[in-house]
Amino acid sequence: MEYDISQILPIVLLPFGAFVLNALIVKKIPRVAVFLSCLSIFVSFLFAANIFKDFFFSKYASDFYVHRVFEWFNLNGGNQTFSVKMGIYLDNMSSVMLLMVTGTAFLIHIFSTFYMKEDARYGRFFVYLSLFSSAMLGLVLSDNLLSVFIFWEIMGFCSYSLIGFYFEKEGAGNASLKAFMTTRVGDVFFLFGIIALWTTVGSVSFVDIYSAINDGLLSSNISILIWSFPVVTVAAISIFLGTIGKSAQFPLQVWLPDAMWGPTPCSALIHAATMVAAGVYLSLRMYPLMQAGGLLIPIAYIGAITAFGAATIALIQTDIKAVLAYSTISQLGYMVLGIGVGAYNASFMHLITHAVFKACLFLSAGSIIHSLHDHHTHAHVQEMPRMGGLKKKMPYTFIAMLFCTLAISGVPLFSGFVSKDRILGDALLMATHNNLYIIPALLGFGGAFLTAFYMFRMMFLTFFGEPRDKELFDHVHTEKLKWNQNVPLLILTVFTLGFWYSGSFSGQGLVKVYDAKYEWFQTLIKAPKISEFQNYTSIGMTEKFTSNEIVSSKYEPDEGETEEESHHAHSVHHVGAIISILIAISGILMAWLMYIMKTVNPGWWVTTFTRWYRALQNKYYFDDFYIKGVIQKLLLPLNRTLSFFDMGIFDRYAIDGWAAINRFFYKTSRWFDNVVVDSILVDGTGVSVRFFNVLLRTIQNGKIQFYFIVFIAVLAGYIFSLKPLVN
Amino acid sequence: MISLSSYLVISLFLFLCGITVMIARKNIIAILLGIELILNASALNFVAYSRFGHNNIDGHIMALFIIVIAAAEAAVGLAIAIRYFQNRETIHIDSATQLQS
Repeated sequence: MEYDISQILPIVLLPFGAFVLNALIVKKIPRVAVFLSCLSIFVSFLFAANIFKDFFFSKYASDFYVHRVFEWFNLNGGNQTFSVKMGIYLDNMSSVMLLMVTGTAFLIHIFSTFYMKEDARYGRFFVYLSLFSSAMLGLVLSDNLLSVFIFWEIMGFCSYSLIGFYFEKEGAGNASLKAFMTTRVGDVFFLFGIIALWTTVGSVSFVDIYSAINDGLLSSNISILIWSFPVVTVAAISIFLGTIGKSAQFPLQVWLPDAMWGPTPCSALIHAATMVAAGVYLSLRMYPLMQAGGLLIPIAYIGAITAFGAATIALIQTDIKAVLAYSTISQLGYMVLGIGVGAYNASFMHLITHAVFKACLFLSAGSIIHSLHDHHTHAHVQEMPRMGGLKKKMPYTFIAMLFCTLAISGVPLFSGFVSKDRILGDALLMATHNNLYIIPALLGFGGAFLTAFYMFRMMFLTFFGEPRDKELFDHVHTEKLKWNQNVPLLILTVFTLGFWYSGSFSGQGLVKVYDAKYEWFQTLIKAPKISEFQNYTSIGMTEKFTSNEIVSSKYEPDEGETEEESHHAHSVHHVGAIISILIAISGILMAWLMYIMKTVNPGWWVTTFTRWYRALQNKYYFDDFYIKGVIQKLLLPLNRTLSFFDMGIFDRYAIDGWAAINRFFYKTSRWFDNVVVDSILVDGTGVSVRFFNVLLRTIQNGKIQFYFIVFIAVLAGYIFSLKPLVN
Repeated sequence: MISLSSYLVISLFLFLCGITVMIARKNIIAILLGIELILNASALNFVAYSRFGHNNIDGHIMALFIIVIAAAEAAVGLAIAIRYFQNRETIHIDSATQLQS
């Protein structure tokens, strides 16, 4: 079996081609455009599945990768060459990612044909979806940070367009701007990091960066103003700030809840499953850089704070999509926490499992919202206080949402437990080694409790109990199994089960169903070993991959550890797993007591902790802080100063002064032109011509006797003038 | 003894009369008469210079030529005047603005 570029590139090019084509035909024939979008992503899915199949059945070792580059452009100036190379980098992680992205994207496309059918801009939605899918797939296949950045920005644009899809509503327009501008803050730093790496390494390809880290090239210092830092730290911080913006981490998380203004399927695709995962994916790719930059502890803190803080805000949300938005931020926080505690594998696994169950949750929410149609305002209802008792009316959505909620809550047997528990177990393990990790670990466990609680609160408020808005409830049609409404949900639901990912039902290896070699995730996904990239030479785009390159390696869970260490790790992991289970169950129990049994009154908590409640309602005043503090107090005066400089000083003196100088020269040259050129030279020629004209016309008047006079006068003139010569 | 200047004065007088007639009169025949006077003045000059200058007969020969030319010129001029009168029924000099009839 040989790998060819034609088996990899269509994954990106098909959705992109569909985007280009659809952008042209969407106005005329929207249905064809929709069909093309779905078809292209499905074919991409088949290609991705083919690649994944090869990687999955252990054809390739965990450290195998396909890297093909071509020169994008090359500027040769004298002895200095500036060559920009692009290429594809396909390893186990990309292959899993490709399958996940194409799979969820395809199901979301299918669901969108149901959800957006009534919409006036039905076709346009799919144009954006296609562009978005291709950008995400391109990002996954990128071999360097520059193309990652390009696709990253395309996704930012798609996100902007899709959040502001209902641009008639003011909130949607503002939310799209907010999302765009907030992520832009991170992107600027990301670009800065790319530049820092470029200037030091001379390339931004992943493998070149890895080998540069290995060679210690990046430990040289870079000076910013008066301070000087190692390049590796600056680059790692900058790139991680890009992740913070894109993955809605702690200081820049404000955009994601507002992004829920977009249509629900786009929330599923962009703000849950794939785009926000791009930030985590980037950090995973740059994991050696983060490690070398000594950034893991801050990353763990940011992840833990995000995971816990977003979970607390989610507790009091009443909008079903807002709960899911905050749970997304929280789960992204877990992924980042996973990077911070060195749980590379578990972090990536959580990315995948989260993408699946969060896509399913959002689609279920979309299914609910679509069914709840308020006949007075002609709007869809998203408020949970008006729901309740939907279990009977929407059984399929209920099953899907229940499974996903169990998964995200970290109940054993489900995917969320497998991945989240590994992150938390590793956090606990790190906490036993390093005191600094105690707080992230505690926050992680606390967030897990809250996650279980608020997710089941959402379940209970939505599906259980008595319908609180009777009229609304009566209008809901009993759900039937529809290929584009429930079937995508149910397919995703199947993949919320844990054994798909872990190979064992528990995920911790406690209850092993198969042998450890079926822990395919552990086998395939490993943090890149930078020492392997020493003296790496890149291979051209057209060259085929042959099986000679494969070096098969086996998964050894306790690789490089002493027996004592591994025993310690195992016991800590067991403790972590037990705590996780207890926490999840207690969270669910708490929600059950509050919202089903009503033995615990939520109102008591609100009245007792009013200040905290208000802080949660205001999202910890982050929006206020950014708008009133940063923007109004800091940026607005800065802008005023700059505008004063621009308008008052630069415009007035530099531009107007230059204008005055020009006006003077213009007046001088106008005078010169009018007087010297026009009056003297141009008109003077005319005047002299007219003078001679008059003179000659007078002489040559046709009267012969006048000629005689002239003749005689001339003769007399000759005589008088020649007379002195005679003498 | 009549001096050269007397001849020249007479000649000048004749010449001025001829010029005056030639410029002032509008009648073609009168102009021709003026020309005759000028020719005669020049002929008189030739003869006078011949008599008082080198004392040879070159001036006389010139005077004879002038008389012949004057006669020929008068004949041609009068012929033109007659043809002109036939065409225009006038011999006014200012009417002679066209070369073709």
